Amino acid sequence: MNRPVSEFAPANDNIIAETERWQAETRAPFVAAQPERRDPFVTQALKWPIKPLYTPADLDAVGFDYLKDVGFPGEYPYTRSTRPNGHRSGFWTMTQVTGFGKGEDWAKRARFMLDQGLSGLILEYDLATTNGYDSDDPMVEGEVGRAGMALDSLEDLENAFDLPFDKLKYLMSVCNAPQPVNLAMIIAALEKKGVDPKDFVLHIVNGILIEYTCVGRYIYPPEHGLRIATDAIEYIIRNHPNWAPLSIISAQLQPAKANPVQEIAFSLAICCAYIDATLERGLDIDTVAPYLNHFVVNVDMDFFEGICKLRAFRKCWARLMKERYGATRPEALKIRLMTSPTTIALTLQQPLNNIGRLAIMATACALGGAGENMTTPLHDEAHSLPAEEAIRVGAALQHIVAHETGVAETIDPLAGSYYVETLTKQMEDAAFAEMEKIFAMGGAVKAIETGYFQRALGREQYERNKDLEEGRRKWVGVNHLVLPEEKREIEIFRLNDEMEEQQVEKVRALRARRDQPAVDAALDKVREAARNGDNLVPVCLDAVKLYATHGELCNAMRDVFGVHTPDSQLAGV
Amino acid sequence: MQEQPNRRLRVLLAKLGMDTHTVGVTIIGHALREAGMEVIFTGLKQTPEMVAAAAIQEDVDVVGISTLSAGHTRNLPKLARLLREQGGGDKLLLAGGVIPQEDQPLLQAAGVHKIFTMGADTRDIVQYLEQWWAEKQASEAA
Repeated sequence: MNRPVSEFAPANDNIIAETERWQAETRAPFVAAQPERRDPFVTQALKWPIKPLYTPADLDAVGFDYLKDVGFPGEYPYTRSTRPNGHRSGFWTMTQVTGFGKGEDWAKRARFMLDQGLSGLILEYDLATTNGYDSDDPMVEGEVGRAGMALDSLEDLENAFDLPFDKLKYLMSVCNAPQPVNLAMIIAALEKKGVDPKDFVLHIVNGILIEYTCVGRYIYPPEHGLRIATDAIEYIIRNHPNWAPLSIISAQLQPAKANPVQEIAFSLAICCAYIDATLERGLDIDTVAPYLNHFVVNVDMDFFEGICKLRAFRKCWARLMKERYGATRPEALKIRLMTSPTTIALTLQQPLNNIGRLAIMATACALGGAGENMTTPLHDEAHSLPAEEAIRVGAALQHIVAHETGVAETIDPLAGSYYVETLTKQMEDAAFAEMEKIFAMGGAVKAIETGYFQRALGREQYERNKDLEEGRRKWVGVNHLVLPEEKREIEIFRLNDEMEEQQVEKVRALRARRDQPAVDAALDKVREAARNGDNLVPVCLDAVKLYATHGELCNAMRDVFGVHTPDSQLAGV
Repeated sequence: MQEQPNRRLRVLLAKLGMDTHTVGVTIIGHALREAGMEVIFTGLKQTPEMVAAAAIQEDVDVVGISTLSAGHTRNLPKLARLLREQGGGDKLLLAGGVIPQEDQPLLQAAGVHKIFTMGADTRDIVQYLEQWWAEKQASEAA
C-alpha cells in the first residue's frame, strides 16, 4: 500500500516552507511580545514535547500512511475501531464497580445499580479474599468486607447472587491470585441459582502477573501464579466458550504511574506470557487470542494522551497477534477494550470538582473508541467507598456523554488530526521498541522476577510526584486554586462495624456444620492436582460444593507452591 | 544512652494488613531518602505485631504507616498500643493515605501523632520530621 514518497513530496515541501514562513512572519513576533506560559510544553505522563502546531508534514515525519496505519473500522489494523460501525449501532456497555460487606449487602447494592440502568456489574472482593485468606484469619483483622465483598465460601455467593439475572447479563469478577478457587465458586453459585451459563457472561480478571508487577495481591511465586491462571483460562475455553477468562488490567499499571508507552508495552508483554502458556496446553492462536484480548484501560486527564493511547492499543494488539503469532482470524486480531476514567486524577480536596474531571475523561474514552465497555469511578472515591448519590451521578455521566455530546455519532472522529495521528504513531513505535526490550530479557515473568517492571514504575511514581510538588503540573485543589479552610459537604458511605464479626461467625458456623471428612478429602485432591500439574478447576469445583472455604483451598495450594516473598528492594521503595 | 550528634533520622515505613497500594509509600520512601534520612521498608502484608517488632529491632525513630483500605481504625490503634507495651512509646507514629477526617480524632487519641492524607506534600512531611527530630535532639541534650 506504500506509495512512493515522491508522490507526496512536492505538496509537503510546500507545507514545510509555508510553516517556516508562518513561524518567522506571524508567530515569532507574537511570541516575542507575549511569551509562552509554559517552557517546555509536554504531554502529562510521557513528557513528550508538544509543538505549537501540527501539519501534514508532521505525519510524513513519522512515516504515516493512512491505509497502513489507520485503515477502516472493523478492519486490520483496527486503529479507528474494532467495530465496523463504531458506536452507531449501539453504545458501549455502561458499568460501575461495586462490592462491599457481606454477600447480601452486595446483592442489595447491585440491585440498586441495575435499577439505575446498568446492565453489567463488576464484583470486587475484600483484601482478605484477594490475598487468599478466610475472614477469621488473624492476618486480615480489620479488612473484612471493607475494600470489597467478603468471600469465604459458596454460601456468600449464594447470598450475593440474589439478583435479577434477566437484567444482569455481564459480571466481571476481580480476583487474581486465588484463581481457580474463585472461578469454581462462581460456577457452583450460578448452578445453584439455575442461571444458564450460555445466557450470561462471566468474566474473570485472573490477572496475577499485574499483581506481581504493581498491585501486590499475590500469593504464590510467579511461575505457579501463571500456571494456575492458565488452568482457569484453559477450563473456560474448553467448557464455557462464551465466557471471558482473563483481563489485562492495564488500568492497574496506570495508577502505578506507568506512562502510556509503558502501559501498552507492559500489558501486551504480560498478555504474551498468558498466551504462550495457553498455547502450550495444545490450543492454537486463532482460538486462544479471542479469549485473551480483554484489556481494561484507564484514561487520565491529558485528553490527547488518553485518546491516542486507546487508538495505539488497538493497533499494537493487532500487529502483535499478526506479526509475533501469525494469527489470521479477525476475532484474534481485535483487542477488546474496557475503558475508564482514572481514579488517580480525582482529588480528595473539593470533591465535586471530580464530576467535571470524570466527564472530561469519559468524553476522551468515547472519542478514543470507548471499547466494549466503559466503567466510571465515582467522584467521592478519594474519601471512602462510594455513596448512593455518587453512584447515580456516575451512571448519569456516561449517559450524558453518550446521548448529549454527539461524540459517538461518527466513528473515530479525531482520526486525521495531525496531532492525534502523530501522537498515536509515536506511541505505537515506542511501545514496540519497549516490548522488544522485554522479550529480549526473557518476557514478562522474567521482567517481574528481576524487578524490571517494579523499578521502572517506582521511578515514574517519584518523578511524577515531583512534577506536582514543584509546580510543573497544576492540579486544581491540590496545588492550584487551593482552599485553605475547606469544608467538606459530601455524603460518606459507612460500613456497619459489626459486619466483620458477623462474617467471622458465619464462616466458623459453616465449618462446624459441614461434612468435614469429605472436605478434607477434597482438599487432598486439590494438593494432588497442584503437585502433578492437573487442571485445578475441576477439583476446586468439587471442594467448593462441599463448602470448603476460600482460605482452605488457597492454603492447600500454599502447601504445594509456597508463597511469594519478593526482596523488598524489588518493591520499588 | 548517649545520642550521637547529627545522627540520621531512622524511619520505618510499613503497610499493615492486606492493603497493597504502594505508590504513596514508594514516593515517601524516595523523598525521605533524598532528604538524608535512613528508610527501611517492611514490605507488604504486615501485622501490627510484625511492625512493632521491626520498629524495636531496627531501633527506628519514626514509624510511618501507609493505609488505603479502611482497616486503619482497627490496626493503627493496635500498633500504637503494641509500641507502648514494648518500650517504643517514644517513637513518632505517623499515618498517611485515605483516612476520612472523622476518623482522625480516634486515631490521634489512640496514639497516632500525625496524619498526612492523600495529596500531602512530601516537602511538608520532610519538614515536619526534621523539626520533630531537631526538637527531640534538643530536649535529649538538655
